[in-house]
Amino acid sequence: MSGRRVIFHLDMDAFYASVEQRDNPEWRGLPVIVGGSPEWRGVVCAASYEARKFGVHSAMPSITAGRLCPKGIFVRPRMDTYRTESEAIMGIVQRLAPGPMQQVSVDEAYVEVTAQLPEMENHDDLLESARPLAREIKDAIRTERGLTATIGIAPNKFLAKIASSSFKPDGLTLVPETGKAEFLRALPVGAIHGVGRVTEAALQQAGFHTIADLQDTGTDLRSLVGSWGPELKRMAFGNDDRPLDTGDEIKSISTENTFPRDTADRAVLRACLREQAAELGEKLARHRLSAGTVQVKVRYGDFTTLTRQFSVEEPLEEAAAIYRFACWLLARHELVNRPLRLLGLGLSALQEITLRQLRLELK
Amino acid sequence: MKFRISKEKLLEGLQQVQNVVSSRATLPVLSNVLIEAESSGLRFTTTDLDIVVSGRIAVTEEPDGPLEIMETGSVTLPARRLAAIVRELPASEVTVTVDSENTAAIRCGNSFFKILGLPAEDFPPPPKFEDVKEFILTQKTLRDALKKTAYAISTDETRYVLNGIYCQFKENKMTLVATDGRRLAMTEAEVEFPESNEAAVIVPTKAVSELQRLLKDDQGQLVIRIGARQIAFELNQSLLVSKLIEGNYPNFRQVIPGAANERVTLEREAFLQAAQRVSLLAPDKSNSVKLHFTKDNIEITANSADIGEARESIAVKYNGPNMAIAFNPEYLVAPFRNLDADEIFLDLIDEVSPGVIKIASPFLYVLMPMRVSQ
Repeated sequence: MSGRRVIFHLDMDAFYASVEQRDNPEWRGLPVIVGGSPEWRGVVCAASYEARKFGVHSAMPSITAGRLCPKGIFVRPRMDTYRTESEAIMGIVQRLAPGPMQQVSVDEAYVEVTAQLPEMENHDDLLESARPLAREIKDAIRTERGLTATIGIAPNKFLAKIASSSFKPDGLTLVPETGKAEFLRALPVGAIHGVGRVTEAALQQAGFHTIADLQDTGTDLRSLVGSWGPELKRMAFGNDDRPLDTGDEIKSISTENTFPRDTADRAVLRACLREQAAELGEKLARHRLSAGTVQVKVRYGDFTTLTRQFSVEEPLEEAAAIYRFACWLLARHELVNRPLRLLGLGLSALQEITLRQLRLELK
Repeated sequence: MKFRISKEKLLEGLQQVQNVVSSRATLPVLSNVLIEAESSGLRFTTTDLDIVVSGRIAVTEEPDGPLEIMETGSVTLPARRLAAIVRELPASEVTVTVDSENTAAIRCGNSFFKILGLPAEDFPPPPKFEDVKEFILTQKTLRDALKKTAYAISTDETRYVLNGIYCQFKENKMTLVATDGRRLAMTEAEVEFPESNEAAVIVPTKAVSELQRLLKDDQGQLVIRIGARQIAFELNQSLLVSKLIEGNYPNFRQVIPGAANERVTLEREAFLQAAQRVSLLAPDKSNSVKLHFTKDNIEITANSADIGEARESIAVKYNGPNMAIAFNPEYLVAPFRNLDADEIFLDLIDEVSPGVIKIASPFLYVLMPMRVSQ
């Protein structure tokens, strides 16, 4: 995986909102907010750049968005449309850049284009030679789909993502191999892949605010972030060997529902879990997988979110068994001690089914 | 309260009851053992609120007997700590004195321990029994029946009715059943009781394992008393009372297959050894051992993609069609490990139907095979 790579990070600009603005020309230039309406429950899924000026961003409760941007046009998400759109866009990407692709979400993907570039001695020249291809992809998405995309070009995934987020919308940014450490210096530590809120707080507490602080320090970062220290240091210098995860292997599957009103009604919760278990069971069957771990997720009215999981002795395949363990997890940890805003169910430790233990038909 | 006791007897008394004490007890007093000194003997009791176990050491006639009660009374003391102390005591004779503050002074040889206890009144009172049905049998009867079935109890907490042994008294028979949904063990024993006593209950796993610890004296008598929500076992100087699992046990009779197509007779020890050896190459739950039946021969095989393979042949009398059936190795050998009979019958229908293990006495074990998924 090491050696000289050229990675694109493609990120659609305000994807859901842009699709809505494309399909409803009268909304162009106006603040479009895709998500639940402010009077009803729900969160913002996406906001057009016009709405972002008001401070609206995704995952914000719609009610807050409505307060920040009273003239905002609230649009219910049309997930099927976005999914179809996403498939069309990824199709364009793969047509022009047929190398390994890791689709991160409906509107975001990494593509490794190294193999289709001419041989070159210098890594910077190699990266530079990919620029026309990136332009070609952006143009094709614009002309064929009427949407704009931003692409970051870099020697690895981490830098490619940083590159695309550094100039949006309709951006095309290249981070050269030689200038990569320099390029990162001014960025906050939170920009590093894997630095979440907790790690960020710990780093800031210790006086590390920018990536430059991490680059310049003589401190062994292990004292702050444990065994991840050396990796963090490498990332701070712009080094990242992670290969593209092309998704041939499914690691976990999950599903969740937000209720229209917070609820502790056992019948409602059971029905929800039963449906989720059925959905996951079907997915397992489709991929001929079984699950070693079951996880439930609950979110309360105050947004406190808890997850509890359990590793089963014998991998699960059937919806009925998944449902049974989900109910048991909720009961065992007394999670429904107040109304729930959200209930989710997930399966992990997935493995292929080769042998199946048959069961007695006990009723 | 004051008594003198042999270290050996005291340790025995504590060990008999200390397993019930949970290391994460919800109430402090539940970590304690209730010790009651009466003129006739000493009683130890522990509980986790689901089970109560109590054992008694009687005062004997002889002048220098192992127990002498100098002053009656009662106290509760931390069970596991006390047992740990007694185990390490330096001499064979121990004197325990408890003052009015529930503090115990333990003297043995040159060592002295002062242990803070809690009042006996804090200890949960014994459960009340109503509508009791009584059964009398030998300890051996129950001990053997439990050994033949208990290993098949489910550990899946999501199906709580299976987390115990189903125990039915009907038509002068005691029937015990345990299943985890993949295999089912059942045994019967003759027990006499009036028809009005017929009953069926589910005894929880923890009570079963405590009971197995107490059932030592084969020929001794055992009294089982079944109430609406509890079951009690009285034997020797011990008493075990447990809550019952409430719920309906599944209709197990319907999973017992009818007539088999093929029967092979296996020599228990030889088959067990061979199957265990081969199972070394089927180390986890997703692995199987396969039994390949050909004329007068069974070949047991296992293979694992990461490790390798194993094979062993056993000569048997078999005249049926060639057939290969896969089982979870642990489920296959469990009855062979727990039965005493030398001769074991394996009845088979085909590769995807349950195999049934039987012996000459009333017992059967239904085991579902494993199948390569297509």
